[in-house]
Amino acid sequence: MLRFILRRTLYAAPSLLGLLIFTFLLIRVVPADPAAALAGDNATPQQIADIRHQYGFDRPIAEQLLIYFGQILRLNFGESQYTQRPVGLDIRQRLPATLELTFAALLIATVLGIPLGVLAGIYHNRWPDFLLRLLSISGVAIAAFWFAIMLQLLFAMELDWLPLRGRSSVGMLAPPEITGSLILDSLFAGRFDACWDALRHLVLPAVTLSLGAFATITRFTRAGVLETMQKDFVLYERAVGYPHRRLVWIYVLRNSVIAAVTQIGLLFGALIAGAVVVEAIFDWPGIGNYAVLAILSADYKVMLAVTLLIGVVYTVVNILTDFVHGLLDPRLWEQL
Amino acid sequence: MIKISRREFGALASAALLFRTQRAVAGEPGVFVFGQDLPANLDPHQIQDLGMTQYALNTYDNLYRYEDNPPKMRPWLATDHTVSADGLIWEFKLREGVKFHDGSEVTGADVVYSFQRLLALGRAPAAPWLSVLKPDSVTAPDRYLVRITLGQRYGPFFGMMPSVFIVNPRIVEAHKDDNDWGARWLASNEAGSGAYRLNPATYVPRERADVEKFDGHFYGWSDNAQPINRIEWRPTKVTSTRVLALLNGTIDMTDSFLPVDQVERIEKSANAHVAKNVTMRLLVIRMNNTKPPFDNINARKCFAHSFNYTGFIDEIVKGNAQRNPAPLPNNIWGYPKDVKGYEFDLAKAKEYFDKAVAEGAPMRRPVEMHVQQPLEQTTQAGQLFQSDLATIGINLKLVNDTFANMTSASVKAESTPQMWIHWISTYYVDPDNWIGQMYDSRFHGTWKASCWYSNPQVDDLLRKARFTSEQEDRAPLYEQAARLVVADSPDIWIYNMIEVCGVANRVQGFRHCPVGSGGEVRWMRLSA
Repeated sequence: MLRFILRRTLYAAPSLLGLLIFTFLLIRVVPADPAAALAGDNATPQQIADIRHQYGFDRPIAEQLLIYFGQILRLNFGESQYTQRPVGLDIRQRLPATLELTFAALLIATVLGIPLGVLAGIYHNRWPDFLLRLLSISGVAIAAFWFAIMLQLLFAMELDWLPLRGRSSVGMLAPPEITGSLILDSLFAGRFDACWDALRHLVLPAVTLSLGAFATITRFTRAGVLETMQKDFVLYERAVGYPHRRLVWIYVLRNSVIAAVTQIGLLFGALIAGAVVVEAIFDWPGIGNYAVLAILSADYKVMLAVTLLIGVVYTVVNILTDFVHGLLDPRLWEQL
Repeated sequence: MIKISRREFGALASAALLFRTQRAVAGEPGVFVFGQDLPANLDPHQIQDLGMTQYALNTYDNLYRYEDNPPKMRPWLATDHTVSADGLIWEFKLREGVKFHDGSEVTGADVVYSFQRLLALGRAPAAPWLSVLKPDSVTAPDRYLVRITLGQRYGPFFGMMPSVFIVNPRIVEAHKDDNDWGARWLASNEAGSGAYRLNPATYVPRERADVEKFDGHFYGWSDNAQPINRIEWRPTKVTSTRVLALLNGTIDMTDSFLPVDQVERIEKSANAHVAKNVTMRLLVIRMNNTKPPFDNINARKCFAHSFNYTGFIDEIVKGNAQRNPAPLPNNIWGYPKDVKGYEFDLAKAKEYFDKAVAEGAPMRRPVEMHVQQPLEQTTQAGQLFQSDLATIGINLKLVNDTFANMTSASVKAESTPQMWIHWISTYYVDPDNWIGQMYDSRFHGTWKASCWYSNPQVDDLLRKARFTSEQEDRAPLYEQAARLVVADSPDIWIYNMIEVCGVANRVQGFRHCPVGSGGEVRWMRLSA
């Protein structure tokens, strides 16, 4: 098992290096001149040239890449041109919000998607299946921004049940920061009012973000269940009168969710990337929002760091997914 | 049929009530929630944009500041000023007893330090000063007197004074790092004397910042019986969320770039209203005069006659703008009242099209126009233009772009797009802010001069106006320059904006000024 994890980690290193080089070159090929953006309105060409020199933008790209690579090896992501703060600090301040949102979305998608996928498989071609297929197709087809606005209009404006935006209410004192997750930190501090407030703020963005993932997990689980139900061992168990509920929720489910688990791993990365839209609509102060602002202002060190971070998270989650695969089906240890 | 027991029904009803009673605190007394963008960092000597102007007007003071609409210069930290007969020596008498937030007194030496820091950092706010001031140009002959000596007369000088915010050198110097003039520290902190002071613990760049009322502010609070105690910046990124937040009381004020459908939505609301104010913000379509077909004057005139100005202002902007056919706002001195500009006339456009073709301009080649994301109105203008140009055989392609990209690209004529569209806001109330920096060829390489227009006669007029002191002498020079520029048709000037800003009904005392778009909170109060 340890050898497996080590091997997968070693495989990941060149991918991340490739991502770093590719992103670095891509950002530098774009015509945006970070020095001009930084110099701002009214800047003279001389000011722009001075800033370009100050930040080393006038050096050859290869040299800039090498310098940046050296910084990354020391886990130094550089300094944001705009906030004048270490990018690592800005990310550390925002990443917990994004992780909180992503985990919540994945939890909703998994907790609802797997059982509903099983139900759709069991009631194949009957009304629960039709209904869930409609739901899952809608989940894939509906644009997140439209769904988000609909949720805001219904639950925040019309029913007045949930907050419209943000991560906490105006006037709500934040708990002392331990993990960066408002929910966990509030619990640790015994601040149940803050915890409840944070949970309520999380609902709409998490549901919005979970929609596509829910649809995917439901569809993969349903397909897995349909396939497993045709297997000989299921036929045999049925023939000998094994209790149906136990058969489905233990044996069929275990053999059906491998594809769904793979999807969950892939979805995690997609959710982090997808959080960009959701964070913007709900003013969720995560790295998605941070990345959008960096793109709009050509803050390239932030863009690089966020891209690399998403790559690392994606890689780690994929390794974990393979690991879970192995736990579900030990024969896979050797193949992976 | 679903069966629900009485106990289950009770639980569900309680849950629903719990949700309802725990609604987010909206409209908290004494707390003003700003939905506007925060500046990229909090140092007023590094950033110059609307977000910074609004932040700095609340947390810092300047020697003079603009108030009201039309903007008037008002003595602020200075009580008055004198200028020598040759217009070169300006002396500003400072108000005595003004305190920074740390309790130390604001003196002439602090003003000198602030100017020196601004020039040394050399960022956006320094740009208009760099050609005028040297670090030793600003001195403090005594504790309450500041003397600024210019190398030559400079017309916009006094109008630019409000753009310099005074920082506390004792605080800034204590936090300097590697001779950076405290730039890293001040980017996330505050060292001013303004009506509000930052609580740095609340600051997350571009996400949130809280400032608290400074009881010791020199202006006092006697003019405002119920001043706002705390301002919370909670920038909303998406327009629809921003407007919904205003309507449900989560924020108290939006930006002033609202699209028309959202304006109508606010106007129908019982909780908020739309503050409409004539301002000085021009919408301009730029043409790169060095690139074909725009190196041909007839081609430029063809495009100028092809934009449906009235249709755009009446139908798309719903009248929230005034037609402005010249390269400076129609409500500033120096504007030539006799200039009619170019009207929408496709027959005339076709005539100029044919002339341009006859002169060899490649009018049938596709032309690219860059529109700004996420500012929807620029795309709407592009689409309207595209459809009208198509009727005379011009293929306009719209390219989505960002402001940062376009300003970067305008460093060189070759990389500047054929066309792009943007606003020019009020950084200082002087024609030089618009026509001066847009059409004097010495500014080539800056985004404001990105049409790469060059006319020696215009250069002479604009420079003469810039280096003349008296407004009455300068105004005719700008008028004459504007006539020449309009005749050459280097750009397409569309409108002067009427700012439409969503304001919660509980906000009283909103005072609009084109500089800062009414974001100076000290005048406001909140009704119960």
